Amino acid sequence: MLKLFKKTKDKIPKSEIINEPKEPQKPAVSKCGKPLLLDNSRWERRLHKELMSLIKEPPPGVTVDTESVQQNLSEWKINIKGFEGTLYEGEDFQLLFKFNNKYPFDSPEVTFIGSNIPVHPHVYSNGHICLSILTEDWSPALSVQSVCLSIASMLSSCREKKRPPDNTLYVKTCNKNPKKTKWWYHDDSV
Amino acid sequence: MDSVENNDANRDELIIQQQREIEKEISDSTPLVSEQLPLNCLQAEYNGDEVFTDKIQELFKKYKFIRRTRPDGNCFFRAFAYSYLEYLITNNSDYQEFQKLAEASKDKLVELGFPSFTLEDFHETFMDVIKRVCPSHSETTEKVKNELHALFNDQGYSDYVVVYLRLITSGKLQEDADFYQHFIEGDFSIEEFRHQEVEPMYKESDHIHIIALCTALGVGVRVEYLDRGEGEQVKAHDFPEGSDPKVYLIYRPGHYDILYPN
Repeated sequence: MLKLFKKTKDKIPKSEIINEPKEPQKPAVSKCGKPLLLDNSRWERRLHKELMSLIKEPPPGVTVDTESVQQNLSEWKINIKGFEGTLYEGEDFQLLFKFNNKYPFDSPEVTFIGSNIPVHPHVYSNGHICLSILTEDWSPALSVQSVCLSIASMLSSCREKKRPPDNTLYVKTCNKNPKKTKWWYHDDSV
Repeated sequence: MDSVENNDANRDELIIQQQREIEKEISDSTPLVSEQLPLNCLQAEYNGDEVFTDKIQELFKKYKFIRRTRPDGNCFFRAFAYSYLEYLITNNSDYQEFQKLAEASKDKLVELGFPSFTLEDFHETFMDVIKRVCPSHSETTEKVKNELHALFNDQGYSDYVVVYLRLITSGKLQEDADFYQHFIEGDFSIEEFRHQEVEPMYKESDHIHIIALCTALGVGVRVEYLDRGEGEQVKAHDFPEGSDPKVYLIYRPGHYDILYPN
């Protein structure tokens, strides 16, 4: 059963080799001797910028739990509402975004958390989401905001509330980190 | 059943782990962009392979040096950017024009609907790299070329440049979608193609990527195809067709490196 949902293409994001962590003792100077502006905190600056934008102009139905972010910039909780006129109208969901210092070259790890995990053909009951932009099709030009919009649109276009067919098996055997699964992406039109 | 299921899950992790190890080996052993190497270093790779050695002999008539790029799926973009900026170091008027075009490119992408706040970082770094290889600096050409080489081997610059060129390519595909749609096989829409095959890092480039990028930046590229195709000649293609090439690349199945004409 599980095979049905495996990726058949052998290409996976090679994000692991990006921005090898620099040795902390080394002064921040590039090989050519000029001061290096692109230090390790660059990912944090990008996250700050995204956070500000998300607080200032949140997409409809999306709110950041700013308290969670204040405690830890690399883990965000985001609330997302089921839109009116969809199968999820009136429901509230919560997403957990985890970032590492290779962000935005590495995609964020995104899962549904909390007591209400949407019943959806691409969402496993442990909160893992089968969505190609979270692994294979991630681009550094995407953002927390665009991920939220994709997830909202994935929910809105759902025509029947049901779990993925291999849910029981997957939830029992998968790694905690959904990025360690080689996903085979379901039809987007579901 | 349990053991079978567990094997299945573990296999995913093992496959991913093995991929990571291969990638690490490549990144440890190959710089993002190599030094300039004599072209005959290719011969060693194809020892005893007549088709390739004959074709490499032909290439010698036109080129003496090669510069290798890391085979990570970004090679076309990295090779293109390196080679063109290297050309600009000694061509001030083209440099000035390119700088203007690059500066204006961000607003154009925003107009096309790219979110400005994710675009900004990549554009800023792109402009920074361009400024740092300016030919009118009081420094010698040699020194500026060394700077270019150092920047392109620093992932914090090199990959930002790659991302920005990917976005320019994607923008061009969107702008002229009616034209580029003909190049896409299957039921991919331009939209899907841009998001799945152009914007993500490590996705390999095809003719369509090359044509879109060259057209967007107004830069001629000649690609020499070293493959098992018929004849002793290495086939060359100019992008866009009929242009005066400033960038010379060699393509071997799945990979682009930089060439230096005699």
